[in-house]
Amino acid sequence: MTLIADRPGPGAARPYRFPPVVRRAVAGGQVVAAHLPGQNLAVALLLLDVGAGQEPVGKEGLSGVLAKALEEGTAQRDAAAYALAVEGLGTALSTGLDWDSFQASVVIPVDRLHAAVELLAEAVRTPRLDPADVRRVRDDEATALRMDWANPGPRADAALRADLFGAQNRWGRPMHGDPESVAGLDVEDVTVFHSEWFLRPGTLIVAGDLDRIDLDALAAAAFAGTGGGPAERGGPLEVPTHNGRRIILVDRPGSVQSTLRLGHPAPHRAHPDHVPMTLAGTVLGGAFTSRLNHLLREVRGYTYGIRADFAASRRFGRFAVSSGVQTAVTAPAVVEAVGEITRTQASGVTEDELEVARSWRAGQLSVELQSPRAIASALTTLVVHDLPDDYHARLREALLSADVEQVSAAAATHLHPEALTLVIEGDAAAIRDDLQATALGDLLP
Amino acid sequence: MPDSGYPWPIQTSRLDNGLRVVVSEDRTAPAVAVNLWYDVGSRHEPAGQTGFAHLFEHLMFEGSVNVAKTEHMKLIQGSGGSLNATTNPDRTNYFETVPAEHLELALWLEADRMGGLVPALTQETLDNQRDVVKNERRQRYENVPYGDAWLRLLPMLYPPGHPYHHATIGSMADLNAADLATFQAFHQTYYAPNNAVLTVVGDATATDVFALADKYFGALPARDDIPPAPDGRSVPATGQTAVESVSADVPAPRVYIAHRSYPFGSPGYDVITVLATVLGSGRGSRLYQRLADGERIAQPDLVGAYGVDLAHGPAPLIATATARPGVSAERLAEGLAEVVDELATVPVTAAELDRAKALLSTGWWRQLSTVDGRADLLGRYATQFGDPARVADHLPALLAVTAEQIAEAAADVLATDRVTLTYLPEETS
Repeated sequence: MTLIADRPGPGAARPYRFPPVVRRAVAGGQVVAAHLPGQNLAVALLLLDVGAGQEPVGKEGLSGVLAKALEEGTAQRDAAAYALAVEGLGTALSTGLDWDSFQASVVIPVDRLHAAVELLAEAVRTPRLDPADVRRVRDDEATALRMDWANPGPRADAALRADLFGAQNRWGRPMHGDPESVAGLDVEDVTVFHSEWFLRPGTLIVAGDLDRIDLDALAAAAFAGTGGGPAERGGPLEVPTHNGRRIILVDRPGSVQSTLRLGHPAPHRAHPDHVPMTLAGTVLGGAFTSRLNHLLREVRGYTYGIRADFAASRRFGRFAVSSGVQTAVTAPAVVEAVGEITRTQASGVTEDELEVARSWRAGQLSVELQSPRAIASALTTLVVHDLPDDYHARLREALLSADVEQVSAAAATHLHPEALTLVIEGDAAAIRDDLQATALGDLLP
Repeated sequence: MPDSGYPWPIQTSRLDNGLRVVVSEDRTAPAVAVNLWYDVGSRHEPAGQTGFAHLFEHLMFEGSVNVAKTEHMKLIQGSGGSLNATTNPDRTNYFETVPAEHLELALWLEADRMGGLVPALTQETLDNQRDVVKNERRQRYENVPYGDAWLRLLPMLYPPGHPYHHATIGSMADLNAADLATFQAFHQTYYAPNNAVLTVVGDATATDVFALADKYFGALPARDDIPPAPDGRSVPATGQTAVESVSADVPAPRVYIAHRSYPFGSPGYDVITVLATVLGSGRGSRLYQRLADGERIAQPDLVGAYGVDLAHGPAPLIATATARPGVSAERLAEGLAEVVDELATVPVTAAELDRAKALLSTGWWRQLSTVDGRADLLGRYATQFGDPARVADHLPALLAVTAEQIAEAAADVLATDRVTLTYLPEETS
């Protein structure tokens, strides 16, 4: 035999250490930095305490339009000159939005970081926001969303969110808005939102070789001309689960796959069960070997992949399953997915499964936290959720020490198979009768 | 920035059975990337067997002599690792990044499926993964607007019989016809140690890796008659333009202009890489400035240009734009062609060149900022050019490209055999 039959065991583990974190108050704002000695690339990320949650109802997508408008010229230069200045340094202004925060960042060789942060601040703090430009950006964003919404997924996501959280609430509407909400924005919406939220200092996140970075100078550039305090965050929201399952069919005529979005509300990010919930979600649908992917992909061949997770922001969370399945097997796929959620809620997880889940989640901390971008993202988590510098070390311990009872209890408490909203985006004519026949829930509308 | 494009050590070895081993030590994080490049891709597929190299890649995760079905994923993820594999026209790569103490496990798993896949391969597994791949095809190519553009461009760019004529995902008919014996033979033919490069980057010494490689892979037999893919290096110009117009369920007209350029790794392709960046990367690019910002006929987020890094034939150079509301496909196509053609007539300025090089430079360092990114590049250079150390020359070569070279390459590549693919929204009833 030319192969070695015995599987090798692990060697001596070298413990993972999150880089040293530096926190500092400078020029009215906060700096949070991680030291990455010898790293040639650096990341600077300006984190503002305003997320989609602060957008008024009916104005969804406002932050996205503002983010694009930031680059349409500044107090100092027009849009083309700004693009050349930023890209001439070898970087691009990258913006992002979630429910709790807005971020603008640059990834760049460390020797050019200061110049890039000056340009970043120039766009965020002193954008021109010429009305004609804002209107054009708004129209382009509406079209971009219309293009995106032509793909399978966004309509199903919106239907699920509205059903879980109520479309009368901002958090019951799409995080990035929809083509209509964006098209309905006016110039004043954008300029007022900017002056209300984008002139507060926020937090400057830096990941890089701090021996080659002057944090005070970066902060002075990032916080120049700012004022005002942090926003009122609001406490966790009480989101009731439904009584009974329901099916919502989103028609996509001729679709060769059905897009599944199955979900219900779940706890907010600071809930004490965060770690066992994460692990329960991992066993059910978070890893390749999870229950859902194993059954629907590896055994049945219904899909290219299926996943489930708990996601949480400061004020609310949700559990959701996502997949694309072949049209002809839509109904059996939904039945089997609901079956696995039900089984996991009722019977919990096994030690064998949990061992994979906890080792994977813990190991990912050393495997994934390599690049300056990944480290900056981890620092952002610390700031948004008020977590301590040793959070990642503690998280690792918490993951590795979670036992079957804790994780099974989290599954029992936080999975609600009887209250699932089952959104299916597909060829309604081909799948409606089959879905009705499953008797999984009332078919709406 | 360092002078070299790869400021880490590179050490290489070759086992007696021909397996090349590349190690690049970096102790920064306690993680190690393991990467195998097999020199087999969809370019090796004969007519009637399109999609087989990729379907085979799926089968490599389904168990081998000492590894039960689904155990591969479970062992890597259960060690805290990330893993995946990809197939393209040129090659198939398999990779995992694990906490460093699990290096030996990763090597054992890779050796077991290199040397012991065939006895574990069953009809049931093949049938299951065939369904999975057909779902992948639906999800990525059939069920999304413009999703089949790549499938349409390839046969327009490369003539029948050329190894790049067909797409890696394959046809549904061929996938349906796939039989077990073909896949058993596929493994025996191509998955030999002398047709692969094993690269390990990160928290491990070269001495240890060479010893472990010999321990786990050393006894696998070499194969001395691996059939080459058809030669695709030279594609004679036809002097013809190819035009295809597709009516489909898409939200706006979109145009692709494509040309065959030069093989990845050649000096000409380095020029094309810079040219594509000048043309279509970022808000300062010609396409953005002219079509999105200037004439405002194109959607700002959807203009771009890029080369596809294929090494065994003239690689594609592709430029694309999507119409703003009210702009016709004809108007868009004219505008796109005009900006593309001007690469040969309007000299690239120093500012344009500097911008492109700065972006490419940052992009390079981003790719090298993880051990897995480095491992894949080293595997590529060892497989395709016989020397992983050549990786260090890539960035300096890009930074040495001149405006004159771009004008020459544009005149050469863009002058003939243009492929234009246009999508038009279907008339709605």
